Amino acid sequence: MNNNTMKHDLPSPKLSVVVIAFNNELYVEEALESLHEQTFDDMEVVVVNDKSTDRTGELIDRFIADKPKFKAVHLEVNSGGCSTPRNTGIAHTTGQYVMFLDGDDWYTIDACEKMVAAIERTDSDFVGGQVIRTNNYEIWYHRQIYNTERTNINIREFSMMLFDSLSVNKIYKRSFLDKNKLRFPEGIHYEDVVFTGKAYFLADSFSIIPEPVYYWRVVENADVKSITNRRHEFDNFKNRIVAHRLFDQFLRDNGDILYQANKNNKFLRHDLKLYTNDYLEFDEEYKSKFHALIYEYMHEVMDAYAFIRLPEKERIMYYLLYIGDKEGFQDYISYKNGLPTSVPRIYAEGGSYYFKTFMEGNLHEKFLRVEDLEFTISIHDLELTNDTFSFNGQSSMESIENSEVYYFWTLKNRQTKALVYSKAGADGRTVFSLRDVTPGNYYLFLHVSHQGTLHRILVKKPVIEHLPNIRVKDSSLSKQFFVNNKNSFAIKVLPLRKKDQARWLLHRGKIADPNNPGILEKTFSGYAKKFFKKLSLRPNWVLFESHMGKQYSDSPKYIYEEMLKTHPNYKFIWSFENPDAVELPGKAIKVKRKSLKHFYYLIRSKFWVDNQGIAHLVRKKKDQVYVQTWHGTPLKRMGYDQKKLPSAEELAKLKVQTNAWNYFVSPNPYSTEIFRRAFRYVGEIIESGYPRNDILITQPQDVVKKVRNHFRIPEGKKVTLFAPTFRDWDPNSFQKTLRDIQTLSKSVNENSVVLLRLHYLLSSRISNQDLPPNIINASTYQDISELYLISDNLVTDYSSVMFDYALLKRPIILYTYDLEEYLSRRGTYFDLVKKAPGPVCGDIEEVVFYLNNSQSLNEYNEALNRFSSEFGSIEDGQASRKVISRVFD
Amino acid sequence: MPKKNIVFMLNEYNGHGGAQRVASILADEFIQDGHSVAILSINEQPNEPSYFSSDIPVHVVHQNGYRATLPKAISTNLKALRFKTVNAELKRRRQLVKRRKEVEAFFDAYGNEEVFVIAVQVWGMQWIEPLMYRPNIKIIGQSHESYLASKDSHRYKRILKYYRQVAKFLLLTQKDAAHFESQGFSNAAVMYNPTPFRKQIEPQELYSHKTIVSTGRLVDGKAFDVLIEAFAHASKELPDWKLHIYGDGPEKKSLQTLIKILGMEDRISLKGQTKDIQGALSASSFFVLSSKAEGLPMSLIEAQSCGLPCISTDCAPGIREIVSDYNNGYVTPVDDVPLLSRQIKRLAQDQETFLKFSEHSFESSARFDKEYIKSQWYDLFEELGGQKNEQQHHEA
Repeated sequence: MNNNTMKHDLPSPKLSVVVIAFNNELYVEEALESLHEQTFDDMEVVVVNDKSTDRTGELIDRFIADKPKFKAVHLEVNSGGCSTPRNTGIAHTTGQYVMFLDGDDWYTIDACEKMVAAIERTDSDFVGGQVIRTNNYEIWYHRQIYNTERTNINIREFSMMLFDSLSVNKIYKRSFLDKNKLRFPEGIHYEDVVFTGKAYFLADSFSIIPEPVYYWRVVENADVKSITNRRHEFDNFKNRIVAHRLFDQFLRDNGDILYQANKNNKFLRHDLKLYTNDYLEFDEEYKSKFHALIYEYMHEVMDAYAFIRLPEKERIMYYLLYIGDKEGFQDYISYKNGLPTSVPRIYAEGGSYYFKTFMEGNLHEKFLRVEDLEFTISIHDLELTNDTFSFNGQSSMESIENSEVYYFWTLKNRQTKALVYSKAGADGRTVFSLRDVTPGNYYLFLHVSHQGTLHRILVKKPVIEHLPNIRVKDSSLSKQFFVNNKNSFAIKVLPLRKKDQARWLLHRGKIADPNNPGILEKTFSGYAKKFFKKLSLRPNWVLFESHMGKQYSDSPKYIYEEMLKTHPNYKFIWSFENPDAVELPGKAIKVKRKSLKHFYYLIRSKFWVDNQGIAHLVRKKKDQVYVQTWHGTPLKRMGYDQKKLPSAEELAKLKVQTNAWNYFVSPNPYSTEIFRRAFRYVGEIIESGYPRNDILITQPQDVVKKVRNHFRIPEGKKVTLFAPTFRDWDPNSFQKTLRDIQTLSKSVNENSVVLLRLHYLLSSRISNQDLPPNIINASTYQDISELYLISDNLVTDYSSVMFDYALLKRPIILYTYDLEEYLSRRGTYFDLVKKAPGPVCGDIEEVVFYLNNSQSLNEYNEALNRFSSEFGSIEDGQASRKVISRVFD
Repeated sequence: MPKKNIVFMLNEYNGHGGAQRVASILADEFIQDGHSVAILSINEQPNEPSYFSSDIPVHVVHQNGYRATLPKAISTNLKALRFKTVNAELKRRRQLVKRRKEVEAFFDAYGNEEVFVIAVQVWGMQWIEPLMYRPNIKIIGQSHESYLASKDSHRYKRILKYYRQVAKFLLLTQKDAAHFESQGFSNAAVMYNPTPFRKQIEPQELYSHKTIVSTGRLVDGKAFDVLIEAFAHASKELPDWKLHIYGDGPEKKSLQTLIKILGMEDRISLKGQTKDIQGALSASSFFVLSSKAEGLPMSLIEAQSCGLPCISTDCAPGIREIVSDYNNGYVTPVDDVPLLSRQIKRLAQDQETFLKFSEHSFESSARFDKEYIKSQWYDLFEELGGQKNEQQHHEA
């Protein structure tokens, strides 16, 4: 090889391009042609043939024969990589700028022209251009890096650039390469990692042009993969680590240790990911070596916090690699690939899920939190008739540690939001009754309930094994299997009668969103509302509401009934969600909540009496009087008293309400103090006792009789009222309640019945369940106060029910199986266990014991009396009258 | 041999696109085997001949020239006082209800006999959707374009809406099928288009023609301007070679002008539409497709069926399923004149490579052989519940 004579024949060109080729007989001509046809002239090309064993050398020589700008260098020994040929190429060129091209890729026609122009314009040390990969014609790191021109930037301000570790898509100043003695590291693979990495940190500045310059030929299913593509050989991984160690060493030597974290990020998100993606294909020997090497390497340059902000899957995988938990890592890979794990790995703690490692340490949960849980569902043998929809379904929550997992299925009508619950049929089939369905698409959901967390999974078509196209119809409805454009499965129910069809067409949008009336109504009510606002206030109109229109109950009810007697000349209005379902004494006008009529009365009534919040419905006028009765003596912390303050938005909403209140009704001094503080309410507080409790003092026998008749409870039967609260953080509590009911049903003596009172949100769900005969569902009964009167004892938990019920001086059993959790989540104003008006039970068996041994309840008489007098001292059966005389007289 | 009822459903049976061509080839094959074939066409073009044999019964859904508009929301348009739109939408809904009934009646005529409906285009699904629930009717949906080309179109949305529950959803390429499988279509499968003819011309003879050929409608998407420029660029080094482009279309004039500007009148000819594609191909050397987007181009399949090597732009996921780069032809990026030009030169100048590619091309076209594709259709009918075609059985 004699190189020196060649150099001096021509003056130095502006640009030198170094092409390297090894066994590229198929493509090398194309690469050279793309250089020969460049729109830029002032250049030389050196082609370095790395001792190819095919026709590459011959083709190169033939191509360059009549082209003076092209030179060929044939290495005598194969170097086995890219570094030696590229360095040799640099040594054989003299141009002011240098570019590189691989023998199987090619340049765009004006690549050289654009790159030279860019480096001259910017005077950067080097300039990068876009790379197009031929498998999809997408630009390499387009969105993150190459979407725009970036001029004279530094790697320390734009570390994203580290993701582009290619050397071939760039033009370099020769002076920059020479000054820094920057050459490709010989004897290793992944030379670009080191070369480009160093270039980034050595350059004062570099630039990027958003122009395609380089075509990267990606041959899919190639017989022979290029050196750097053979990931299944362990040496390949080792070589990558070797290259990264060289880069790391350089960072330390160059004083850039500060940027190791950026470099690590790229290593984790790009390099390491390639190998973890392929992990399942590795053999055992590979895996052992892989774990050993990655463990060693990670501990050299990073700590666990390098993973903390990575996406879940990467965070967990890398953490397990980092702590050296090989079995855990393999289980996690299995978990994410639908394969069984060696031991259950998923566990729940305080509402969150984690991946289990058996390694020592107490920080694991920080890194091993799992949100993306795996569930397996399979559905087969679907049947649809006019009356039922049924199937065989299997479901499992994968790798879960605790076996207490409950699965149930629902159908939900997306238009009306109506729910249908399944029942277990013969042979383990899941059966839905379709007898009461209305038009709409009923989507199928699997609910998985586990330790207080409810997971809801929409069933998609692929989990259904053979979905037949079935449609059935009776005289009024057709029902058919349906898959929507997002692949979700539903039972589509359509009306068949013309009249029903028209109604359905008009109303389905409205049903879906009750707050969104039709367009005509909207336009009309817009005008109407403007008009109403001009109307004057009516001084003797009183608007009542209880629990957002869901009930005729609570203090507004008792104030109203008292006012019927004391203020016969007044006009009374009640708003209900469903006015037809409620019967009222007296001559009150019933309006549908949020209707135009409701709006009219909201604007014109001088008085509002309410127990939650209606102030957001319209802006209250100055002369209007809002009596807030509230709905219970506080036990759990509220408003500003909460452990964690509510969001600013919620506090703003609260402020709208409190500002609107003119009077606030308080049941006792204890509550008065809390209300002031928790609501930051400065207006008048009427400390009268609760109007709703008047009935508990007077205990009218006609009411007792009415309620007993309503529930058909025979004389002499003992009644237990069971009123658990709604645990909004635990949708599973409903299931728990169902099981408790079964226990109660079996255990209470035959002379007793249990009245079940659930939160109104659950009342519709319980009505779908078959209850044992000695359990009576009283969840939809309007007024709970009337239920107190007929019950002999009460089982409840954290509800304000206990304060009211204590006035009756009848036994109260507190059933607080999740006391600790409740306290930690909600926080209470006093120590419930200490002040409790009765026994505090941790499980249902204890409750049963007290119910069946009434004499043992006697021990709690003193506690009950103390409780009653502390919270009920001012209740005298006159609260309604007191409030009325303060407000209306 | 048990007779099968086969209904082709098309937007317009007498259009002149690739979809109609393929359907007509299949229809003829099915009729030859004694099956009963009918056409359900949503619309028709006035006074246009069709590819289909005249003895195939055609039922046109909208005979009065009405063309269904795209579905619109009534309430928002009403609110915006766009009464014309609202009116059109009401008409569309009325028409749809009415025509669906007619279509149901059309299928009632088959009684309980099994019917295979080949929905050549997805548009017509809105009229036959209710038939999905009849146990004797098997709907086979097709899409004749690549998912990449259709991704942002109404057609793609309609595929998502209508093809989830059909018995089979046929795509033209493996890549397209894989895409829809990844979108949860468990009914997706591949069916190649059949080539209407297949006869090898000696590679040596082909080469001696020194003619580059391309076919297609002269429309922007076919990018014949790129091909003309690429050829012109290479022409000096290919003194004896000519370029023949077959087809008609709106771009004819501007292409003619381009040829003139480049001074290529002697070398490039726009030959107009031809009835004898096979003849045109057999008289050429190799085929170039310069399109911007395609499904599974019939033209490439036809060219290979005569033994022509092909150079194609990488304009659809399926291109590489037909043209194997550096094996039976070349694949170039879309709109890349210099590279296309270099590959034209390479193939024209290197006779040895040409002969090799030509052999490979013809071999590769076996996958598109009419008989073979037909047997795949019969296999499909059988899988969907049809009975074994006896003739096929004997042949196999």
